[in-house]
Amino acid sequence: MSKSLVVFTLITLLPFLCYAFSPENPTDRKVLVLLDDFAIKSSHSLFFKSLQSRGFHFDFKLADDPKIALQRYGRYFYDALILFAPTIERFGGSVDSAAILDFVDSGHDLILAADSNASELIREIATECGVDFDEDPAAVVIDHTSYTVSETEGDHTLIASDDLIKSDVIVGSQKIEAPVLFQGIGHTLNPANTLVLKALSASPSAYSANPKSKLSSPPQLTGSAISLVSVIQARNSARILISGSLSLFSNRFFKSGVQKAGSPTKYDKSGNEQFSVELSKWVFHERGHLKAVNVKHHKVGETDEPAMYRINDELEYLVEIYEWSGKAWEPYVADDVQVQFYMMSPYVLKTLSTNNKGLYHTAFKVPDVYGVFQFKVEYQKLGYTTLSLSKQIPVRPFRHNEYERFIPTAYPYYGSAFSMMAGFFIFTIVHLYNK
Amino acid sequence: MARSTSKDAQALFQSLRSAYTATPTTLKIIDLYVIYAVFTALIQVAYMAIVGSFPFNSFLSGVLSCIGTAVLAVCLRIQVNKENKEFKDLAPERAFADFVLCNLVLHLVIINFLG
Amino acid sequence: MAASVPSKGSTLRDAFGNVLSFFILILIGVLAFSIRLFSVIKYESVIHEFDPYFNYRVTQYLSKMGIYEFWNWFDDRTWYPLGRVIGGTVYPGLTLTAGTLWRVLNALNIPLSVETVCVFTAPVFSAFASWATYLLTKEVKGPGAGLTAAALLAMVPSYISRSVAGSYDNEAVAIFALIFTFYLYLKTLNTGSLFYATLNALAYFYMVCSWGGYTFIINLIPMHALLCVVTGRYSSRLYIAYAPFVVLGTLLAALVPVVGFNAVMTSEHFASFLVFIIIHVVALVYYIKGTLSQKMFKVAVTLVVSIGLAVCCAVIAVLIALVASSPTKGWSGRSLSLLDPTYASKYIPIIASVSEHQPPTWPSYFMDINVLAFLVPAGIIACFSPLSDASSFVVLYIATAVYFSGVMVRLMLVLAPAACIMSGIALSQAFEVFTRSIKFQMPGEAPDAQEVGEMISDGVVIQHDVVKAEKSEDTVKERPSKKNRKKEKEPVEKPSVKSQIRKRLLVLPFATSIIALFLLVLLGAFYVVHCVWAAAEAYSAPSIVLTSHSRDGLHVFDDFREAYAWLSHNTEVDDKVASWWDYGYQTTAMANRTVIVDNNTWNNTHIATVGTAMSSPEKAAWEIFNSLDVKYVLVVFGGLVGYPSDDINKFLWMVRIGGGVFPHIKEPDYLRDGQYRIDSQATPTMLNCLMYKLSYYRFVETDGKGFDRVRQTEIGKKYFKLSHFEEVFTTHHWMVRIYKLKPPKNRIRGKTKKSKTKSSSTTSSKRKGTKKRNPWH
Repeated sequence: MSKSLVVFTLITLLPFLCYAFSPENPTDRKVLVLLDDFAIKSSHSLFFKSLQSRGFHFDFKLADDPKIALQRYGRYFYDALILFAPTIERFGGSVDSAAILDFVDSGHDLILAADSNASELIREIATECGVDFDEDPAAVVIDHTSYTVSETEGDHTLIASDDLIKSDVIVGSQKIEAPVLFQGIGHTLNPANTLVLKALSASPSAYSANPKSKLSSPPQLTGSAISLVSVIQARNSARILISGSLSLFSNRFFKSGVQKAGSPTKYDKSGNEQFSVELSKWVFHERGHLKAVNVKHHKVGETDEPAMYRINDELEYLVEIYEWSGKAWEPYVADDVQVQFYMMSPYVLKTLSTNNKGLYHTAFKVPDVYGVFQFKVEYQKLGYTTLSLSKQIPVRPFRHNEYERFIPTAYPYYGSAFSMMAGFFIFTIVHLYNK
Repeated sequence: MARSTSKDAQALFQSLRSAYTATPTTLKIIDLYVIYAVFTALIQVAYMAIVGSFPFNSFLSGVLSCIGTAVLAVCLRIQVNKENKEFKDLAPERAFADFVLCNLVLHLVIINFLG
Repeated sequence: MAASVPSKGSTLRDAFGNVLSFFILILIGVLAFSIRLFSVIKYESVIHEFDPYFNYRVTQYLSKMGIYEFWNWFDDRTWYPLGRVIGGTVYPGLTLTAGTLWRVLNALNIPLSVETVCVFTAPVFSAFASWATYLLTKEVKGPGAGLTAAALLAMVPSYISRSVAGSYDNEAVAIFALIFTFYLYLKTLNTGSLFYATLNALAYFYMVCSWGGYTFIINLIPMHALLCVVTGRYSSRLYIAYAPFVVLGTLLAALVPVVGFNAVMTSEHFASFLVFIIIHVVALVYYIKGTLSQKMFKVAVTLVVSIGLAVCCAVIAVLIALVASSPTKGWSGRSLSLLDPTYASKYIPIIASVSEHQPPTWPSYFMDINVLAFLVPAGIIACFSPLSDASSFVVLYIATAVYFSGVMVRLMLVLAPAACIMSGIALSQAFEVFTRSIKFQMPGEAPDAQEVGEMISDGVVIQHDVVKAEKSEDTVKERPSKKNRKKEKEPVEKPSVKSQIRKRLLVLPFATSIIALFLLVLLGAFYVVHCVWAAAEAYSAPSIVLTSHSRDGLHVFDDFREAYAWLSHNTEVDDKVASWWDYGYQTTAMANRTVIVDNNTWNNTHIATVGTAMSSPEKAAWEIFNSLDVKYVLVVFGGLVGYPSDDINKFLWMVRIGGGVFPHIKEPDYLRDGQYRIDSQATPTMLNCLMYKLSYYRFVETDGKGFDRVRQTEIGKKYFKLSHFEEVFTTHHWMVRIYKLKPPKNRIRGKTKKSKTKSSSTTSSKRKGTKKRNPWH
């Protein structure tokens, strides 16, 4: 049903996301939270509260609760999943890693937090999403230069990082001033993987090793290759947040002050709360979710959509693009949306102009080539859902009676042909009467 | 040598002319018609050489209509020529009817092709 | 000729003969029609093979949308995404014919479906073709030879192969048009009437509409005209037959969209223009010669020759320069391969890959024209005594046709009518000679008693024939009796004119004549048996439905239609289906899905793209197909049932064609020591290419060994998985397998190896559930 809304856009990704992200009642969303133990519920209550205040309903369960289930008869009970159970080896009930991945593949969101003693199961889920945790189970991220100054001179595993992803969509438009506290394991991303982004990276001096043992060989993960928190947007627009630290979301980190080593400024409050809340907004599609509707095209001066264009027709292309603000669809304003008139390669590439009310529009001339063309909008912007609209339209050559007639150059030929006919008549008469 | 050729040529033209004056007027009319058609065709070819072959179909139909007319007229001439022994049993009326039919087809095609 | 003896008896006999030959012609038509119905009786009333499906689809469109829509039809369902302008690239003759037939029948309240009309168009036109043959041969050697030739043509296997019911292809009507055009040309040549010249041009127009083989006509007729001029047989009739034909024919040909300006721009047509000029010069010369005295003419000749030579040289030089300036010398690839048989295999793999474009083998001559091959030389000799304009044309026709058929199997079809005409002439002449010998040696007969003698001799011959005919099949009966009719007429003419001399010349000993007659009839009988066999067994298979006889009875393989039906019911209307081009027409016609390439092989690059995809590894192939918006890939696989013309056997052509455009595909990579093999000795490239994988995916599950019945070997790589494609449908006998392109992965996995393959066990158990039933177990 919801499929039919967007079916004409012919894209494969959008229909999926409708299961998780229903525009009808998007504010009423159910989230399943799986915990190692219920202590986390209270120790991370600030994070949950901020979500609850935005209209999410939580269902707290122990991760090994035998009654947990994500779906029944193909219908999912939840819209999103928060996995705050880094040590769990086996989920209870029917849930396993494949079930969670299916949950994601059907368009649902996931927040996953690991910790220094993350289990195989958690690592496997992360790997499937494109995040490789350090294989050494005891390793944590250590940074001897950008650690937090604290009362006890620790082993520099509590890191203060301010290397955030530069995207207003993902981390919010308000700048996060204070560094983000992080304590946990690091991971790397495959650079070829275009879906996964480092939301919070380690500083160049960081490395991943076991702090309790002596470093015998150079650590495998070093420097800014280490990602501390990553976000993933799957092709079906399901969004995943993977953090190497569970305590990043904790009340303790939210409230604690932070002073980065070597830096004179001391912040009363770490950036954790702002960071995690803004990230959760992104993950739960309150920001950066676009939709394109009412794709229309027609000849200039007409309103009906033709079944076929002719070469050299003038046409107009219109599309409306909206962004979800958390409460309502609002016009999306950008000047970099482009449409291609595409047949094996783009024949026309035009930037769409917008009226600031969500309507994008352009006009161009069909190229002098016939074939089956597509109007293609491939809009991939960092942090936004991918818009990929394509609409097939054949372009035909001239009909036999659409060619130019009565060309002035050809008048002598016409003249001669008709003079021949006239000559024929005269000749006929002369010939007949001459006998 | 050159003189003898020119003399020969003169004699040749003389005899040609004398032979031609003997042809009946009907045939002469046909000859006139043929020359007219060929001449028009030549003009068009010259015109095409000047302005280029853009409306090629028009050019083709223009020239071919002339050539076709000429060829058909020649055919008619052959058939109605009384000296020609091959067509004794072909009545000139029949020949002319065939000629008209042929021309109609030709000009229909030409009109079709002209535009 | 018969009119020269205006005796009452002979006119009566003449009328009798005419009526008789009329009925015989009708019978020949019925024979030609009915011998082609084996396919309908043995199988069903379906369209055959590949190209006919396209023609059928076009005809449907025509009957639905009307002629103007058809003319301007831009088809967006083939050659995706290029599309094809059907109106401008198709020879519309066949479609228009069938469409008109259908319309007429509907107007007469005969509600036949378009398909039925299409199926029966070819048999109907082969009846027309045999009548045209009668007319043509009659122009050459009289009605007797005409009847024989018509009868021979009605069942010549070569023609049957292209015109059985359901074989709805251009050739079906084109052969009729070809013969009829030749007939009208000869008729014009014999009568010198402009009326026939007009008809000739119109028939030529129909031929141009119908088939690309019209270039044969436009080259053969100038050749003949030139031959006549060179051998001093020029007459004003030749001028009338030739000159209007060229002008009108060229104009009419240019009207057909697919030919267009080619009619004056390509070298195939230049011969006619050259001869056109020559014939005008010659006509002028003859005219002047007629008007001038002998002496003056000589003077004129010396004068004209000296000037004329210079002009001619200049013109020819210009022409050659023009022709040479175009890269292929203005000849299309197909025509070039006619002149140079090795051309196609050297330069254009796509032409060479079509089996019907390859040179025929000797057995195929015997198969396709049978005993006619032996009668043709006799016919040629008969044509030389006496040599007329018409018979020289026929001789020229057979000579060129033999050459062309030697280059391309497909052109055997052009040879068949020529061979029939020649054999018809030969047979009728032979019968004439033998029966006359018998007649004059009948005891108690005097040469003067014409009437009585003929009666007796005819009676005797009929008896002979009937006796012999009983030995052979029933169908033979028709033919010997026909020969009698012919004999009946000829004696009327011959003895009366110069019977004495001829008799002395041609009389053979009585016994020899009887034996020779007997042998000839036997030969004819053999021909008939062969033709019926060919029509029934060899050429009636529609190739869309296959049958095979085995110990446990008849197997019917209807996999193609099963697959196409699946496609049309289970896929979206706009989905694109990729397959090798052979199946393009069928997919669009039967499944109504968009295809990437089809049998109209006009864009080599596009075909090469598909060929490259098929010969690439899975991932590269997926990317190619995805860039073409392909949703489904269809492969034809004969390994399970032993269907030899499957994609694996065509695969080398895909590699060659693909490699011709994309050089990273190299043929030697797919060959082990120059041998093409798919067993364990095959090269890794071969075993990893998409075509191998799609063909043999899960094949080992059928018999546990993966034994390929076509290649007679076990396959090289038996257990493998597909990562980018998934099997969605495999037909009952595994002949057609349809795969779907998997969408790109929703998530991209990390690098870390999977620790445990827990999920793989679940997928494999799923596989077991969907396992295909093996029809053999």
